[in-house]
Amino acid sequence: MSESLLKFFQETGFAGATWGNIVMILVSFLLLYLAIKHKFEPLLLFTIAFGMLLTNLPGAGMFHSELFAGGHVHWGSFVQNAGLLDYLYLGVKLGIYPCLIFVGVGAMTDFGPLIANPKSFMLGAAAQVGIFLTFIGAIALGFTPAQAGSIGIIGGADGPTAIFLTSMLAPELLGPIAVAAYSYMALVPVIQPPIMRLLTTKKERMIKMEQLRPVSKTEKILFPIVIAVIISMLLPSAAPLIGCLMLGNLMKECGVVDRLSKTVQNELMNIVVIFLGLTVGATATAEAFINLKTLGILLLGVVAFAVGTSGGLLLARFMNLFLPEGKKMNPLIGAAGVSAVPMAARVAQTVGQEANPSNFLLMHAMGPNVAGVVGSAVAAGILLSFLG
Amino acid sequence: MTQIDWSSILTVAFIGFSLVIVMLLLMVFVMKGFGAVFTHQRKKQSPSQSEVDGETVAAIMTALRLFSSARHDRETEMLTILSIKRAYSPWNSKIHGLTQMPDYRK
Repeated sequence: MSESLLKFFQETGFAGATWGNIVMILVSFLLLYLAIKHKFEPLLLFTIAFGMLLTNLPGAGMFHSELFAGGHVHWGSFVQNAGLLDYLYLGVKLGIYPCLIFVGVGAMTDFGPLIANPKSFMLGAAAQVGIFLTFIGAIALGFTPAQAGSIGIIGGADGPTAIFLTSMLAPELLGPIAVAAYSYMALVPVIQPPIMRLLTTKKERMIKMEQLRPVSKTEKILFPIVIAVIISMLLPSAAPLIGCLMLGNLMKECGVVDRLSKTVQNELMNIVVIFLGLTVGATATAEAFINLKTLGILLLGVVAFAVGTSGGLLLARFMNLFLPEGKKMNPLIGAAGVSAVPMAARVAQTVGQEANPSNFLLMHAMGPNVAGVVGSAVAAGILLSFLG
Repeated sequence: MTQIDWSSILTVAFIGFSLVIVMLLLMVFVMKGFGAVFTHQRKKQSPSQSEVDGETVAAIMTALRLFSSARHDRETEMLTILSIKRAYSPWNSKIHGLTQMPDYRK
Protein backbone atom coordinates (compact mmCIF):
# COMPACT_ATOMS: atom_id res chain seq x y z
CA MET A 1 0.00 0.00 0.00
CA SER A 2 2.69 2.44 1.07
CA GLU A 3 4.77 1.39 -1.94
CA SER A 4 1.83 2.13 -4.25
CA LEU A 5 1.34 5.51 -2.64
CA LEU A 6 5.05 6.25 -2.95
CA LYS A 7 5.01 5.22 -6.59
CA PHE A 8 1.97 7.40 -7.22
CA PHE A 9 3.67 10.37 -5.51
CA GLN A 10 6.82 9.85 -7.57
CA GLU A 11 4.73 9.99 -10.74
CA THR A 12 3.07 13.28 -9.78
CA GLY A 13 4.42 16.58 -10.92
CA PHE A 14 5.22 17.57 -7.33
CA ALA A 15 7.96 14.93 -7.09
CA GLY A 16 9.53 15.92 -10.39
CA ALA A 17 9.32 19.70 -9.88
CA THR A 18 12.57 21.61 -10.08
CA TRP A 19 13.11 25.10 -8.75
CA GLY A 20 13.23 26.24 -12.40
CA ASN A 21 9.70 24.88 -13.01
CA ILE A 22 8.42 26.62 -9.90
CA VAL A 23 9.99 29.96 -10.85
CA MET A 24 8.56 29.74 -14.37
CA ILE A 25 5.11 28.86 -13.07
CA LEU A 26 5.31 31.92 -10.81
CA VAL A 27 6.40 34.05 -13.80
CA SER A 28 3.40 32.75 -15.77
CA PHE A 29 1.14 33.69 -12.82
CA LEU A 30 2.64 37.18 -12.84
CA LEU A 31 2.01 37.55 -16.59
CA LEU A 32 -1.55 36.25 -16.19
CA TYR A 33 -2.07 38.80 -13.43
CA LEU A 34 -0.72 41.62 -15.62
CA ALA A 35 -2.88 40.52 -18.55
CA ILE A 36 -6.11 40.00 -16.58
CA LYS A 37 -5.89 42.67 -13.91
CA HIS A 38 -3.99 45.42 -15.73
CA LYS A 39 -4.99 44.47 -19.31
CA PHE A 40 -1.35 44.51 -20.54
CA GLU A 41 -1.75 43.38 -24.18
CA PRO A 42 -4.17 40.75 -22.84
CA LEU A 43 -4.89 38.99 -26.14
CA LEU A 44 -1.32 37.78 -26.45
CA LEU A 45 0.17 38.08 -22.97
CA PHE A 46 -2.67 35.98 -21.59
CA THR A 47 -2.15 33.13 -24.07
CA ILE A 48 1.65 33.37 -23.83
CA ALA A 49 1.42 33.14 -20.03
CA PHE A 50 -0.84 30.08 -20.20
CA GLY A 51 1.44 28.39 -22.73
CA MET A 52 4.33 29.12 -20.35
CA LEU A 53 2.35 27.56 -17.50
CA LEU A 54 1.54 24.40 -19.50
CA THR A 55 5.08 23.85 -20.70
CA ASN A 56 6.54 24.20 -17.21
CA LEU A 57 4.15 21.80 -15.47
CA PRO A 58 6.56 19.06 -14.38
CA GLY A 59 5.85 15.67 -15.90
CA ALA A 60 3.13 16.94 -18.25
CA GLY A 61 5.46 16.89 -21.27
CA MET A 62 3.29 19.26 -23.26
CA PHE A 63 6.07 20.65 -25.43
CA HIS A 64 9.24 18.95 -26.65
CA SER A 65 11.88 21.54 -27.48
CA GLU A 66 14.28 18.74 -28.52
CA LEU A 67 12.11 18.14 -31.61
CA PHE A 68 13.11 21.60 -32.82
CA ALA A 69 16.72 21.56 -31.59
CA GLY A 70 19.35 23.06 -33.83
CA GLY A 71 16.89 25.39 -35.54
CA HIS A 72 15.07 22.75 -37.63
CA VAL A 73 12.28 20.22 -37.18
CA HIS A 74 13.41 16.63 -36.52
CA TRP A 75 10.66 15.02 -38.57
CA GLY A 76 11.79 11.45 -37.80
CA SER A 77 11.09 11.65 -34.07
CA PHE A 78 8.41 14.32 -34.54
CA VAL A 79 5.79 11.89 -35.84
CA GLN A 80 6.35 9.52 -32.90
CA ASN A 81 6.73 11.94 -30.00
CA ALA A 82 4.98 15.20 -30.87
CA GLY A 83 2.01 16.43 -28.83
CA LEU A 84 -0.59 19.12 -29.42
CA LEU A 85 1.66 22.08 -28.65
CA ASP A 86 4.44 20.62 -30.84
CA TYR A 87 2.06 20.40 -33.80
CA LEU A 88 0.75 23.91 -33.18
CA TYR A 89 4.33 25.22 -32.85
CA LEU A 90 4.95 24.25 -36.48
CA GLY A 91 2.95 27.35 -37.40
CA VAL A 92 5.55 29.50 -35.64
CA LYS A 93 8.51 27.46 -36.82
CA LEU A 94 7.45 27.66 -40.46
CA GLY A 95 6.60 31.38 -40.18
CA ILE A 96 2.88 30.85 -40.85
CA TYR A 97 1.21 32.50 -37.84
CA PRO A 98 2.98 35.90 -37.98
CA CYS A 99 2.07 36.21 -41.65
CA LEU A 100 -1.58 35.29 -41.02
CA ILE A 101 -1.69 37.86 -38.20
CA PHE A 102 -0.28 40.42 -40.61
CA VAL A 103 -3.19 39.73 -42.98
CA GLY A 104 -5.55 40.61 -40.12
CA VAL A 105 -3.47 43.64 -39.10
CA GLY A 106 -3.56 44.87 -42.70
CA ALA A 107 -7.34 44.48 -42.80
CA MET A 108 -7.66 46.54 -39.63
CA THR A 109 -5.24 49.29 -40.66
CA ASP A 110 -6.19 52.54 -42.32
CA PHE A 111 -3.25 53.77 -44.36
CA GLY A 112 -5.15 56.98 -45.23
CA PRO A 113 -3.11 59.27 -42.93
CA LEU A 114 0.12 57.87 -44.40
CA ILE A 115 -1.08 58.34 -47.99
CA ALA A 116 -2.18 61.89 -47.18
CA ASN A 117 1.17 62.76 -45.61
CA PRO A 118 3.92 60.60 -47.17
CA LYS A 119 6.60 62.38 -45.09
CA SER A 120 5.37 60.12 -42.29
CA PHE A 121 7.30 57.29 -43.96
CA MET A 122 10.53 58.98 -42.91
CA LEU A 123 9.45 59.12 -39.27
CA GLY A 124 8.60 55.43 -39.44
CA ALA A 125 12.04 54.76 -40.90
CA ALA A 126 13.91 56.88 -38.34
CA ALA A 127 12.25 55.05 -35.46
CA GLN A 128 13.86 51.81 -36.71
CA VAL A 129 17.25 53.14 -35.56
CA GLY A 130 16.48 51.44 -32.24
CA ILE A 131 16.62 48.04 -33.97
CA PHE A 132 20.09 48.55 -35.39
CA LEU A 133 21.66 50.25 -32.36
CA THR A 134 20.28 47.51 -30.13
CA PHE A 135 21.73 44.96 -32.55
CA ILE A 136 25.17 46.49 -31.88
CA GLY A 137 24.48 46.57 -28.12
CA ALA A 138 23.46 42.90 -28.11
CA ILE A 139 26.66 41.92 -29.90
CA ALA A 140 28.61 43.84 -27.24
CA LEU A 141 26.80 41.84 -24.54
CA GLY A 142 27.99 38.58 -26.11
CA PHE A 143 25.02 37.50 -28.24
CA THR A 144 25.65 35.99 -31.68
CA PRO A 145 24.77 38.18 -34.71
CA ALA A 146 21.60 36.13 -35.38
CA GLN A 147 20.50 36.43 -31.75
CA ALA A 148 21.40 40.14 -31.72
CA GLY A 149 19.25 40.76 -34.81
CA SER A 150 16.30 39.03 -33.13
CA ILE A 151 16.77 41.09 -29.96
CA GLY A 152 17.10 44.31 -31.96
CA ILE A 153 13.76 43.73 -33.70
CA ILE A 154 12.05 44.20 -30.30
CA GLY A 155 12.67 47.90 -31.02
CA GLY A 156 10.33 47.57 -34.00
CA ALA A 157 7.53 47.24 -31.41
CA ASP A 158 5.77 44.80 -33.65
CA GLY A 159 4.98 41.41 -32.11
CA PRO A 160 4.38 39.32 -35.25
CA THR A 161 7.51 40.75 -36.91
CA ALA A 162 9.60 39.98 -33.82
CA ILE A 163 8.26 36.42 -33.66
CA PHE A 164 8.73 35.90 -37.42
CA LEU A 165 12.35 37.04 -37.38
CA THR A 166 13.25 35.27 -34.13
CA SER A 167 11.75 31.97 -35.28
CA MET A 168 13.99 32.21 -38.35
CA LEU A 169 17.20 33.52 -36.76
CA ALA A 170 17.27 32.50 -33.10
CA PRO A 171 14.38 30.17 -32.17
CA GLU A 172 16.04 29.39 -28.83
CA LEU A 173 15.29 32.98 -27.72
CA LEU A 174 11.69 33.03 -28.92
CA GLY A 175 10.09 32.90 -25.46
CA PRO A 176 12.04 35.75 -23.81
CA ILE A 177 11.90 37.93 -26.94
CA ALA A 178 8.12 37.51 -27.36
CA VAL A 179 7.52 38.25 -23.68
CA ALA A 180 9.80 41.31 -23.82
CA ALA A 181 8.23 42.60 -27.06
CA TYR A 182 4.63 42.31 -25.87
CA SER A 183 5.38 43.54 -22.35
CA TYR A 184 7.13 46.66 -23.62
CA MET A 185 4.37 47.27 -26.19
CA ALA A 186 1.94 47.30 -23.29
CA LEU A 187 4.26 49.69 -21.45
CA VAL A 188 4.48 52.21 -24.32
CA PRO A 189 2.39 54.75 -22.34
CA VAL A 190 4.94 54.48 -19.53
CA ILE A 191 8.17 54.34 -21.56
CA GLN A 192 7.49 57.00 -24.18
CA PRO A 193 6.11 60.13 -22.43
CA PRO A 194 9.27 60.95 -20.38
CA ILE A 195 11.42 60.63 -23.52
CA MET A 196 8.94 62.77 -25.49
CA ARG A 197 9.03 65.51 -22.86
CA LEU A 198 12.81 65.32 -22.57
CA LEU A 199 13.53 65.65 -26.28
CA THR A 200 10.99 68.33 -27.21
CA THR A 201 10.24 71.82 -25.98
CA LYS A 202 6.77 72.83 -24.82
CA LYS A 203 6.53 75.20 -27.78
CA GLU A 204 7.15 72.30 -30.16
CA ARG A 205 4.64 70.08 -28.38
CA MET A 206 2.03 72.83 -28.83
CA ILE A 207 2.37 72.92 -32.62
CA LYS A 208 -0.95 72.42 -34.36
CA MET A 209 -0.81 70.60 -37.66
CA GLU A 210 -2.98 71.45 -40.64
CA GLN A 211 -5.77 69.09 -41.56
CA LEU A 212 -4.80 66.12 -43.74
CA ARG A 213 -6.03 66.12 -47.32
CA PRO A 214 -8.85 63.71 -48.17
CA VAL A 215 -7.69 60.43 -49.69
CA SER A 216 -9.70 58.89 -52.50
CA LYS A 217 -10.77 55.27 -52.58
CA THR A 218 -8.67 54.66 -55.69
CA GLU A 219 -5.55 55.79 -53.83
CA LYS A 220 -6.38 53.50 -50.93
CA ILE A 221 -6.81 50.57 -53.30
CA LEU A 222 -3.64 51.25 -55.27
CA PHE A 223 -1.50 51.84 -52.17
CA PRO A 224 -1.26 48.19 -50.96
CA ILE A 225 -0.62 46.94 -54.49
CA VAL A 226 2.15 49.45 -55.15
CA ILE A 227 3.83 48.94 -51.76
CA ALA A 228 3.66 45.14 -52.02
CA VAL A 229 5.18 45.16 -55.51
CA ILE A 230 7.94 47.73 -54.87
CA ILE A 231 9.10 46.47 -51.45
CA SER A 232 8.87 42.79 -52.38
CA MET A 233 10.85 43.39 -55.58
CA LEU A 234 13.53 45.36 -53.76
CA LEU A 235 13.66 43.14 -50.69
CA PRO A 236 12.26 39.64 -51.34
CA SER A 237 12.94 38.52 -47.75
CA ALA A 238 10.37 41.09 -46.54
CA ALA A 239 7.76 39.80 -49.03
CA PRO A 240 5.97 37.39 -46.64
CA LEU A 241 5.27 40.10 -44.06
CA ILE A 242 4.68 43.04 -46.40
CA GLY A 243 2.73 40.89 -48.86
CA CYS A 244 0.38 39.59 -46.15
CA LEU A 245 -0.03 43.06 -44.60
CA MET A 246 -0.97 44.55 -47.94
CA LEU A 247 -3.21 41.59 -48.86
CA GLY A 248 -5.28 42.23 -45.74
CA ASN A 249 -5.38 45.96 -46.44
CA LEU A 250 -6.50 45.44 -50.03
CA MET A 251 -9.30 43.14 -48.80
CA LYS A 252 -10.54 45.99 -46.61
CA GLU A 253 -10.14 48.82 -49.10
CA CYS A 254 -11.43 47.21 -52.28
CA GLY A 255 -14.84 46.71 -50.69
CA VAL A 256 -15.80 43.68 -52.78
CA VAL A 257 -14.65 40.95 -50.38
CA ASP A 258 -16.21 42.16 -47.16
CA ARG A 259 -16.74 38.61 -45.93
CA LEU A 260 -13.05 37.81 -46.30
CA SER A 261 -12.08 41.11 -44.71
CA LYS A 262 -14.29 40.47 -41.69
CA THR A 263 -13.00 36.92 -41.37
CA VAL A 264 -9.33 37.87 -41.33
CA GLN A 265 -10.04 40.72 -38.90
CA ASN A 266 -11.95 38.53 -36.47
CA GLU A 267 -12.16 34.74 -36.69
CA LEU A 268 -8.84 34.02 -38.41
CA MET A 269 -6.96 36.59 -36.36
CA ASN A 270 -8.40 35.30 -33.08
CA ILE A 271 -7.67 31.66 -33.87
CA VAL A 272 -4.11 32.42 -34.89
CA VAL A 273 -3.58 34.59 -31.80
CA ILE A 274 -4.55 31.64 -29.59
CA PHE A 275 -2.19 29.25 -31.40
CA LEU A 276 0.64 31.78 -31.59
CA GLY A 277 0.42 32.86 -27.97
CA LEU A 278 0.18 29.33 -26.60
CA THR A 279 3.08 27.97 -28.60
CA VAL A 280 5.35 30.96 -28.11
CA GLY A 281 4.67 30.72 -24.38
CA ALA A 282 5.42 27.00 -24.57
CA THR A 283 8.97 27.73 -25.73
CA ALA A 284 9.65 29.60 -22.48
CA THR A 285 10.92 26.60 -20.56
CA ALA A 286 12.95 27.05 -17.40
CA GLU A 287 16.18 26.16 -19.24
CA ALA A 288 15.47 28.70 -21.99
CA PHE A 289 14.15 31.48 -19.75
CA ILE A 290 15.99 31.50 -16.43
CA ASN A 291 19.43 32.75 -17.35
CA LEU A 292 21.35 35.95 -17.70
CA LYS A 293 20.51 36.13 -21.40
CA THR A 294 16.85 36.77 -20.57
CA LEU A 295 17.88 39.62 -18.30
CA GLY A 296 20.02 41.01 -21.13
CA ILE A 297 17.10 40.69 -23.58
CA LEU A 298 14.74 42.53 -21.22
CA LEU A 299 17.31 45.30 -20.73
CA LEU A 300 18.11 45.61 -24.44
CA GLY A 301 14.39 45.55 -25.30
CA VAL A 302 13.64 48.67 -23.29
CA VAL A 303 16.74 50.35 -24.74
CA ALA A 304 15.50 49.50 -28.25
CA PHE A 305 12.12 51.09 -27.52
CA ALA A 306 13.68 54.21 -26.03
CA VAL A 307 16.17 54.67 -28.89
CA GLY A 308 13.46 54.10 -31.50
CA THR A 309 11.22 56.69 -29.87
CA SER A 310 14.11 59.16 -29.73
CA GLY A 311 14.96 58.53 -33.41
CA GLY A 312 11.45 59.43 -34.55
CA LEU A 313 11.28 62.52 -32.32
CA LEU A 314 14.67 63.84 -33.38
CA LEU A 315 14.02 63.33 -37.10
CA ALA A 316 10.72 65.20 -36.79
CA ARG A 317 12.57 68.09 -35.13
CA PHE A 318 15.23 67.97 -37.84
CA MET A 319 12.63 68.01 -40.62
CA ASN A 320 10.98 71.02 -38.98
CA LEU A 321 14.17 73.02 -39.65
CA PHE A 322 13.38 72.86 -43.38
CA LEU A 323 9.61 73.24 -43.24
CA PRO A 324 8.01 76.69 -43.59
CA GLU A 325 6.04 78.23 -40.73
CA GLY A 326 2.51 76.89 -40.72
CA LYS A 327 3.62 73.60 -42.32
CA LYS A 328 5.75 72.47 -39.37
CA MET A 329 4.92 69.14 -37.80
CA ASN A 330 4.49 68.42 -34.15
CA PRO A 331 7.59 66.32 -33.28
CA LEU A 332 5.52 64.17 -30.93
CA ILE A 333 4.13 62.30 -33.92
CA GLY A 334 7.68 61.09 -34.62
CA ALA A 335 7.53 58.96 -31.48
CA ALA A 336 4.62 57.04 -33.02
CA GLY A 337 7.04 55.75 -35.66
CA VAL A 338 7.81 52.78 -33.43
CA SER A 339 4.86 50.71 -34.66
CA ALA A 340 2.89 49.62 -31.54
CA VAL A 341 -0.33 50.45 -33.38
CA PRO A 342 -2.36 52.32 -32.19
CA MET A 343 -0.95 52.72 -28.67
CA ALA A 344 2.00 54.91 -29.72
CA ALA A 345 -0.31 57.24 -31.69
CA ARG A 346 -2.59 57.55 -28.67
CA VAL A 347 0.39 58.44 -26.50
CA ALA A 348 1.36 61.20 -28.97
CA GLN A 349 -2.23 62.51 -28.79
CA THR A 350 -2.25 62.45 -24.97
CA VAL A 351 1.13 64.16 -24.55
CA GLY A 352 0.21 66.71 -27.24
CA GLN A 353 -3.04 67.57 -25.46
CA GLU A 354 -1.17 68.06 -22.18
CA ALA A 355 0.74 70.92 -23.83
CA ASN A 356 -2.16 72.24 -25.86
CA PRO A 357 -5.64 70.95 -24.97
CA SER A 358 -7.05 72.05 -28.33
CA ASN A 359 -4.55 69.96 -30.26
CA PHE A 360 -5.65 66.78 -32.04
CA LEU A 361 -2.65 64.78 -33.16
CA LEU A 362 -4.17 61.31 -33.35
CA MET A 363 -4.72 61.16 -37.12
CA HIS A 364 -1.37 62.83 -37.81
CA ALA A 365 0.35 60.31 -35.54
CA MET A 366 -1.36 57.37 -37.24
CA GLY A 367 0.73 58.13 -40.37
CA PRO A 368 4.13 57.46 -38.75
CA ASN A 369 2.52 54.71 -36.71
CA VAL A 370 1.52 52.61 -39.72
CA ALA A 371 4.75 53.62 -41.49
CA GLY A 372 6.49 52.03 -38.50
CA VAL A 373 4.73 48.73 -39.26
CA VAL A 374 6.05 48.86 -42.83
CA GLY A 375 9.47 50.04 -41.58
CA SER A 376 9.86 47.25 -39.03
CA ALA A 377 8.83 44.63 -41.62
CA VAL A 378 11.45 46.05 -44.00
CA ALA A 379 14.07 46.04 -41.21
CA ALA A 380 13.18 42.41 -40.42
CA GLY A 381 13.61 41.51 -44.09
CA ILE A 382 16.99 43.23 -44.19
CA LEU A 383 18.20 41.46 -41.02
CA LEU A 384 16.93 38.16 -42.38
CA SER A 385 18.80 38.58 -45.64
CA PHE A 386 22.01 39.68 -43.85
CA LEU A 387 22.00 37.22 -40.96
CA GLY A 388 19.74 34.36 -42.08
CA MET B 1 35.06 33.76 -26.18
CA THR B 2 35.23 34.33 -29.92
CA GLN B 3 36.59 37.59 -31.25
CA ILE B 4 33.88 39.98 -32.43
CA ASP B 5 34.37 41.29 -35.94
CA TRP B 6 33.26 44.82 -35.17
CA SER B 7 33.84 46.14 -38.65
CA SER B 8 31.37 43.68 -40.18
CA ILE B 9 28.86 44.21 -37.34
CA LEU B 10 28.94 47.97 -37.78
CA THR B 11 28.69 47.54 -41.54
CA VAL B 12 25.58 45.36 -41.18
CA ALA B 13 24.00 47.88 -38.79
CA PHE B 14 24.86 50.90 -40.92
CA ILE B 15 23.90 49.39 -44.26
CA GLY B 16 20.77 47.85 -42.75
CA PHE B 17 19.53 51.14 -41.34
CA SER B 18 20.50 53.01 -44.50
CA LEU B 19 18.49 50.51 -46.56
CA VAL B 20 15.42 51.07 -44.38
CA ILE B 21 15.79 54.83 -44.86
CA VAL B 22 16.35 54.54 -48.62
CA MET B 23 13.40 52.19 -49.16
CA LEU B 24 10.99 54.29 -47.19
CA LEU B 25 12.35 57.46 -48.82
CA LEU B 26 11.55 55.84 -52.14
CA MET B 27 8.03 55.25 -50.84
CA VAL B 28 7.78 58.96 -49.93
CA PHE B 29 8.53 59.93 -53.53
CA VAL B 30 6.20 57.30 -54.95
CA MET B 31 3.35 58.39 -52.69
CA LYS B 32 4.07 62.09 -53.34
CA GLY B 33 3.78 61.38 -57.06
CA PHE B 34 0.62 59.45 -56.40
CA GLY B 35 -0.83 62.29 -54.34
CA ALA B 36 0.06 64.87 -56.98
CA VAL B 37 -1.67 62.89 -59.72
CA PHE B 38 -4.82 62.27 -57.71
CA THR B 39 -5.06 65.79 -56.30
CA HIS B 40 -4.63 67.18 -59.82
CA GLN B 41 -7.35 64.87 -61.14
CA ARG B 42 -9.71 65.85 -58.34
CA LYS B 43 -9.16 69.55 -59.01
CA LYS B 44 -9.85 69.00 -62.71
CA GLN B 45 -13.03 67.13 -61.99
CA SER B 46 -14.51 69.67 -59.58
CA PRO B 47 -12.89 73.10 -59.96
CA SER B 48 -15.60 74.82 -57.94
CA GLN B 49 -14.84 72.73 -54.84
CA SER B 50 -11.48 74.36 -54.29
CA GLU B 51 -13.14 77.74 -53.93
CA VAL B 52 -15.09 76.61 -50.86
CA ASP B 53 -12.84 76.48 -47.85
CA GLY B 54 -13.38 74.44 -44.70
CA GLU B 55 -14.72 77.35 -42.65
CA THR B 56 -17.43 78.10 -45.21
CA VAL B 57 -18.46 74.46 -45.24
CA ALA B 58 -18.57 74.47 -41.41
CA ALA B 59 -20.72 77.64 -41.42
CA ILE B 60 -23.17 76.12 -43.94
CA MET B 61 -23.38 72.91 -41.95
CA THR B 62 -23.99 74.81 -38.70
CA ALA B 63 -26.75 76.86 -40.36
CA LEU B 64 -28.40 73.71 -41.70
CA ARG B 65 -28.14 72.07 -38.29
CA LEU B 66 -29.73 75.08 -36.57
CA PHE B 67 -32.46 75.21 -39.20
CA SER B 68 -33.31 71.53 -38.89
CA SER B 69 -33.21 71.55 -35.09
CA ALA B 70 -35.60 74.54 -35.01
CA ARG B 71 -38.28 72.43 -36.67
CA HIS B 72 -39.97 70.34 -34.06
CA ASP B 73 -40.87 66.79 -34.84
CA ARG B 74 -43.60 64.92 -33.05
CA GLU B 75 -41.95 63.56 -29.95
CA THR B 76 -42.36 60.10 -28.52
CA GLU B 77 -44.25 61.31 -25.44
CA MET B 78 -42.36 58.78 -23.47
CA LEU B 79 -40.62 59.86 -20.30
CA THR B 80 -37.57 57.98 -19.22
CA ILE B 81 -36.22 58.33 -15.75
CA LEU B 82 -32.72 57.15 -15.31
CA SER B 83 -31.69 55.98 -11.91
CA ILE B 84 -28.35 57.44 -10.97
CA LYS B 85 -26.17 55.93 -8.33
CA ARG B 86 -23.56 58.18 -6.90
CA ALA B 87 -20.68 57.11 -4.73
CA TYR B 88 -21.02 58.10 -1.10
CA SER B 89 -19.56 61.43 -0.13
CA PRO B 90 -20.24 63.67 2.87
CA TRP B 91 -21.26 66.33 0.33
CA ASN B 92 -24.18 64.28 -0.97
CA SER B 93 -25.07 62.61 2.29
CA LYS B 94 -28.58 63.25 3.52
CA ILE B 95 -27.48 62.58 7.07
CA HIS B 96 -25.37 65.72 7.03
CA GLY B 97 -27.85 67.72 4.97
CA LEU B 98 -31.05 67.18 6.96
CA THR B 99 -31.76 68.96 10.21
CA GLN B 100 -30.67 66.69 12.98
CA MET B 101 -32.79 66.21 16.05
CA PRO B 102 -30.97 67.65 19.03
CA ASP B 103 -29.78 65.20 21.62
CA TYR B 104 -32.33 64.91 24.35
CA ARG B 105 -30.64 65.26 27.68
CA LYS B 106 -32.34 64.13 30.82
